[in-house]
Amino acid sequence: MRDLRIPIGSFFTLVGVILAVTGVVTGNRAPLETVNVNLYCGFSMLVFGGIMLWLSRRSS
Amino acid sequence: MTLAPVDYVILSLYFAFVLGIGWIVKRKVTTSEDFLTSGRSVPVWITSLAFIAANLGAQEVIGMCASGAKYGIMTAHFYWLGAVPAMLFVGVFMMPFYYGSRARSVPEYLKLRFDEKTRALNACTFAVMTVFSSGISMYALGLLFQLVLGWSFTASVLLSAAIVLIYTFLGGLTSAIYNEVLQFFLIVLGFAPLAIMSMLKAGGWSGMAARLPPVMTHAWSYLKEPSQNPMGVEVFGLVAGLGFVLSFGYWCTDFLVVQRAMAADSMSSARRTPLIAAFPKMIMPFIVIVPGVAALALSKMALGYALPLKPDGGPDYDQAMTTLMAQFYPSGMLGLGLTALMASFMSGMAGNVTAFNTVWTYDLYQGYIRKSAPDSHYLWVGRITTVVGVGLSVGTAYLASHFNNIMDFLQLVFGFVNAPLFATFLLGMFWKRATGHGAFTGLLAGTFAAAATHGLTLAENKGGWLGSVVHTFPSTMAQNFWIAIFAWSTCMAVTIVVSLLSAAKPEGELHNLVYGLTDIPHDAHLPWYKRPLPLAAVVIVALVVLNILFW
Repeated sequence: MRDLRIPIGSFFTLVGVILAVTGVVTGNRAPLETVNVNLYCGFSMLVFGGIMLWLSRRSS
Repeated sequence: MTLAPVDYVILSLYFAFVLGIGWIVKRKVTTSEDFLTSGRSVPVWITSLAFIAANLGAQEVIGMCASGAKYGIMTAHFYWLGAVPAMLFVGVFMMPFYYGSRARSVPEYLKLRFDEKTRALNACTFAVMTVFSSGISMYALGLLFQLVLGWSFTASVLLSAAIVLIYTFLGGLTSAIYNEVLQFFLIVLGFAPLAIMSMLKAGGWSGMAARLPPVMTHAWSYLKEPSQNPMGVEVFGLVAGLGFVLSFGYWCTDFLVVQRAMAADSMSSARRTPLIAAFPKMIMPFIVIVPGVAALALSKMALGYALPLKPDGGPDYDQAMTTLMAQFYPSGMLGLGLTALMASFMSGMAGNVTAFNTVWTYDLYQGYIRKSAPDSHYLWVGRITTVVGVGLSVGTAYLASHFNNIMDFLQLVFGFVNAPLFATFLLGMFWKRATGHGAFTGLLAGTFAAAATHGLTLAENKGGWLGSVVHTFPSTMAQNFWIAIFAWSTCMAVTIVVSLLSAAKPEGELHNLVYGLTDIPHDAHLPWYKRPLPLAAVVIVALVVLNILFW
């Protein structure tokens, strides 16, 4: 494999998008939490995935 | 707990990536060494993360959270007192011999350093042990998913086993290691939000400290007497038993983790693998233990949250993690949290399977069954062993579901076998006079000493099967620590005495195997972060700070 950061980055970018969209569409439904967990977590994972992909691009 | 379609989408996406990585790696595998040792070509950041992930099985994640709820932040001793110092030791002091000897496995190192019988003893017990421990963790996972999600035991066991089988069969150790890195990030990103949210909800660290007895939020303050803390241990038993014998025994000699470092692309990378891994390892208590402590604090607040009860009426700490997820994660993140749990299980299982493969193929099959065959034959044996290893694990999982007592008994026996190991390696690597006869008798004597200690002492009605009870421990944890201490000391003493009585191995045969006859690489010209000693120093400083903060 050329660079492991590509699959890891892609996975978290995809999951981040799915979670953020779920967060926007459904709002929050967790019993003990008031913030929109999916939106925040999804956004963080999107950022993490993006950094991974960017690092991989930069080094190639 | 019920899952929504989006949760299944995330779980399936993860499975697709795991299998995809296996498929891509497959093209690189052409020899048995590619398959079983990654051809020593993996970059250091990957081996480091795999080094922790292979140990971070589902039982570890669920168990550490449970212990957090049961024993409090003292549980962090498994990391800050146990794992991390041992990881520094293996990186700085032991890796030059493991990597420099060109051995392909830990038992093979024992053969080069000592003799055939010591290798055979270690290889056989290790092979049996890995299969059983992966079966037992598979059983635990199946049980948990049955309890929490209502999934069928058979379906979750077979599905997870099949996926691990496919990607390790395709890409061998490289595939397992690459996936372990993905699994590591998934475990961290999947559980960290839970730790943050549950802690905030419980009022932060100070809020938790205010709601719980002080022993739950202090790691060292209540160790003078076993009666002061729920673990029932005192400071010497903890430091010597857990901090020294058990942790060093596991992290420095267990091929499951050492194999990851041995796959690194250079001696420098191999030595830095456990050292770099020590940084995230130090942080892990905040992700896996703190939620357990928070769960206990939350159950004392009027939120309607409580730990589920076991049939006997006591709290079921093993469910701390999953019940928290149900409270804090909406559909979506819930799927990711369960995927992380699945990932932790798979990383643990793949770790066991790849280590089993290498030991079976190189140490047992090539060592005793068919010594000289073309390499393609051993590659084929390695692949077949993957299938057999996974099959045996599944069998063990079912055995465990029917005969729980047998499993408890086997785990006990494995504990006896493991306890003395570190003494053997310590003498083997740092005392060139240690001999094969010494190592072998030392290991046997240490195992018997462990069994005898268990047979002569009692803790929570366990042990004492030798008829007379000479001591009663306040907890099985304390008993385990002391068993380890006695086993290690016996192994050390017997190995030294028998070695001195038997003929020494000629120095010419000990190059790159023992301290004093091995070239330690000079690295003074490298920047500090590429050198083992400065890295270890930074870890030690951070470790001291953490221990003081949670004193």
